[in-house]
Amino acid sequence: MAGEDRTEPLERLLNLVALLLETRAPLTFEQIRETLEPYRQEKVDSAKRMFERDKDLLRDYGVPLELVDVDAWGGDQGYVIPKDAYYLPEIAFTPEELGALLVAAQSGDENTAAERAVHKLLYGADGGVLAGLTGGPLASGSDARSELVLAVAAAAQGHGRISFGYRTSQGKASEREVDAFAMVFRGGHWYLVGHDRDRDDVRAFRLSRFTSEPEDRGVGTSPPPGFSAADHVRAGPWDALAEERAVIAFSPDVAWWAASSLTGATTIGAGEDGWVEVAVPLADEQALAGLVLQFGDEAVAREPASLRDAILERLAAIRA
Amino acid sequence: MLVVVPYLVQHPGSILAEVAELFGVTPEQLRRDLDLLFMSGLPPYGPGDLIDVDVDEDDRIWITMADHFARPLRLTRNEALALYVRGTELVATPGLPQARHLAGALDKLRATLGPDTLDAEGLIHAPGGGLAPEHLDTLREAASAHHRVLIEYYAASSAALTTRTIEPEEVFPNLGNWYVAAWDLGADAERLFRVDRMRSAVDTEEGFEPHGLAGAGRDLYMPGEGDVPVRLRLRAGARWIAEYYATIDAVELDDGSLELTLPAHRLEWVARLLLRVGPDASVIAPDALRDELSTLATRTIARYRG
Repeated sequence: MAGEDRTEPLERLLNLVALLLETRAPLTFEQIRETLEPYRQEKVDSAKRMFERDKDLLRDYGVPLELVDVDAWGGDQGYVIPKDAYYLPEIAFTPEELGALLVAAQSGDENTAAERAVHKLLYGADGGVLAGLTGGPLASGSDARSELVLAVAAAAQGHGRISFGYRTSQGKASEREVDAFAMVFRGGHWYLVGHDRDRDDVRAFRLSRFTSEPEDRGVGTSPPPGFSAADHVRAGPWDALAEERAVIAFSPDVAWWAASSLTGATTIGAGEDGWVEVAVPLADEQALAGLVLQFGDEAVAREPASLRDAILERLAAIRA
Repeated sequence: MLVVVPYLVQHPGSILAEVAELFGVTPEQLRRDLDLLFMSGLPPYGPGDLIDVDVDEDDRIWITMADHFARPLRLTRNEALALYVRGTELVATPGLPQARHLAGALDKLRATLGPDTLDAEGLIHAPGGGLAPEHLDTLREAASAHHRVLIEYYAASSAALTTRTIEPEEVFPNLGNWYVAAWDLGADAERLFRVDRMRSAVDTEEGFEPHGLAGAGRDLYMPGEGDVPVRLRLRAGARWIAEYYATIDAVELDDGSLELTLPAHRLEWVARLLLRVGPDASVIAPDALRDELSTLATRTIARYRG
């Protein structure tokens, strides 16, 4: 008779999976107990407890262990692992694709779910995959924890309703209840786009501004027809879609990178003093004034006059 | 084991140490698990029913009689989503060499797993994030060949264009920007450089011995000996500074403003930052920063009068 700890869990789990995958008819716990030695303890209760633990472990791991009626008359119930639900469908990845997935799973902070996913996909890999391993992460991912990103993405995937603590960029903290629609990744940040129930409007929430874990509030609503998540996440005050243009002159030291760092900006040309004039999309005058001011005395707004006035007014206030 | 076995069945003769590395376990753990695998199989557990595992003298692994484990199990919804989200982050990074392959892999994943497992259509968006910086390829090639590079660099901390020779070791993206971790020969110290702030970059073909600098995942702020702790109070309109720069010792105040310390190599760039946010921020310390700010404002106003 086997004692409680005589068999290794791994061996027991592998045997259980093999048995339930290959069985023609569902097996009751009694039948499993008869076949697999580790469950053949004297005390049925402790064997049952061990089996329950094993079952949970396997389900967490993604094994579709199902409890079904043994026969059509609805008498006993038995366990089975349906093969079509168990096996991963064939996916023909190229070695480069698998290598890229492996690298992606290892980027950023620790994310066991992503790594488990890629381990399951590796079986079809050519030998070349190992050669592509860099031995380290490739990028630093986003500014939000993987766990949070995943929890919110799962809510959006199921169109669920969640509540969470949130602090706006302006510092206002409040509790939000949101029907999750979609996720947007822009400029290194993850955003949740969804229907804010209290404000009765579609809003975007940067995940790094969440102040609590999201809580499940059940089923949400679906996005309205024609909904486009990316439209709700602002690209910045220098919105490239703005029609009006401001003209900013930059000193030769900064002009070469200033122009390329402003979305939608185009270089007009350099003057005799070497300063370069750049046309910049103008959507929000105060925001653009701030942007120009951060270049200190290496940038001057030329047009429009209202932008010049806004900048000079702010400078005067600082000197006062 | 449920994911390692399918790999071993498909790759007879795999080398133990390589498999261990691929699946993120130690070789000892893998060897132990393989021993246990040898004991498993199907009833009635006669010699012909057990999985046969052999690790030969060259540490190559051979498995037979494991037909039911020849293919791996499905991805759970959570696993599929986790991988998809991670992949999307990288695909959206301009200039990443693997981005094209990764995008292809994510498409296949979505198509094969179907909406029951991965319903990503219309769910996850990553609008392309602009262009890769001009000198990215030069730096990547120099880093892998261990070549010194001569750069013209605009350092935000000193607000000046400088010429330096650097030994680039790691090139990596972080929050939408590309960085190089390098040894700065002039300073004889480690420095981080933003690739888009390099006006020029020339591979000198001169070799170097790497110091083993950290790359992706590292802290972007490197404390320096000459750092000045700048204490600021940020009101609503200036709170973004806390999200954008590496800051420490942040305290939320009752009026919704935030007090924090911004470690700075030079006061010049903090002054520029304060010029931008104006009345939304106030300087608690050092006093010299207020003078710097006032001087900068005067110089800037002069540009408009000139």
